[in-house]
Amino acid sequence: MSQDIENELRRAMRAIDPPADFTARVMRNLPPRATVTAIAAARPAARPSLWTRLSAPVALAASLLVAIVLGQHMATQQAERQQLAGLEASRKLMQALRVTSQKLDLAYEAVQRPPPVAPPAEENRS
Amino acid sequence: MKWITCLATLLLAVPALGQNRGLPKGQITLPEFAQLADKASESVTVTLDPQLLGLACRFLDSSDPQQAEAQKLCTSLTGIYVRKYTFDTDYAYPKSDIDGVRKQLSGPGWSRLVEARSKKDQTDVDVYVLIDGGKARSLAIIASEPREFAIVNIVGSIDLEQLHALEGNFGVPELELETGKKPTAEKAPATKK
Repeated sequence: MSQDIENELRRAMRAIDPPADFTARVMRNLPPRATVTAIAAARPAARPSLWTRLSAPVALAASLLVAIVLGQHMATQQAERQQLAGLEASRKLMQALRVTSQKLDLAYEAVQRPPPVAPPAEENRS
Repeated sequence: MKWITCLATLLLAVPALGQNRGLPKGQITLPEFAQLADKASESVTVTLDPQLLGLACRFLDSSDPQQAEAQKLCTSLTGIYVRKYTFDTDYAYPKSDIDGVRKQLSGPGWSRLVEARSKKDQTDVDVYVLIDGGKARSLAIIASEPREFAIVNIVGSIDLEQLHALEGNFGVPELELETGKKPTAEKAPATKK
């Protein structure tokens, strides 16, 4: 009885050669090999220089200052130009009114002038 | 070919008509007189459109009596145009240009207030007023002397009383102008020959 069991086990446990495509199938069913990526250790960032940190605000402030100064300068120039134009226009206006009055005077004089006296022909006859 | 010529003429004529229509009522078209300016010993050219006239009014000195009177007058005006040329010789200017301006004043609405002709002084002075709605809307003066001619065009609601108020300031004489009434000068012009 025990001999039978022993033989049965031997038969079941005997070495069997794997099929020809066994290796290929195993390899095929293996999960893809995980790629090892090297993660570079994050280096601590270098502290920016004072100039780098302040350059943007300084540039902005300078631009604003230049804009204000330029704006003021242009406004002043515009006001000066307007004043000059206004004074010139008022001078022209007075000149025009003077010419108008001169010519109206001329008309007035011509209208008021007495008509030329006719020669006293009748008196000479007598 | 003919229709192209006609079209070209029409295209040239339309803007020219538009220019006349574009002028405010009462404003006359003054010639350029560019050649005369070179010949003249003295010339006065004043072109004050509504914008410039407004600017001029703002810059008048109200503490000066003359300018204060002018300020009162110019607020109701919309334009002042003056051309005055003085020459060293007699009649160095073409009368045709002046006649061209005079023709514009024969249009509707214009009345000749004064027509003064002096053979002795060889002086012609015409004063025209454009009456619209019973009010003087424009004043034009054409004065020609042997060595000088002047054209004045004052556009706007002209208060003849205010113009009269300038008497003594600019020497504007009393022309016996009646405000709000159409002058009868055209019917019986104050002609002196």
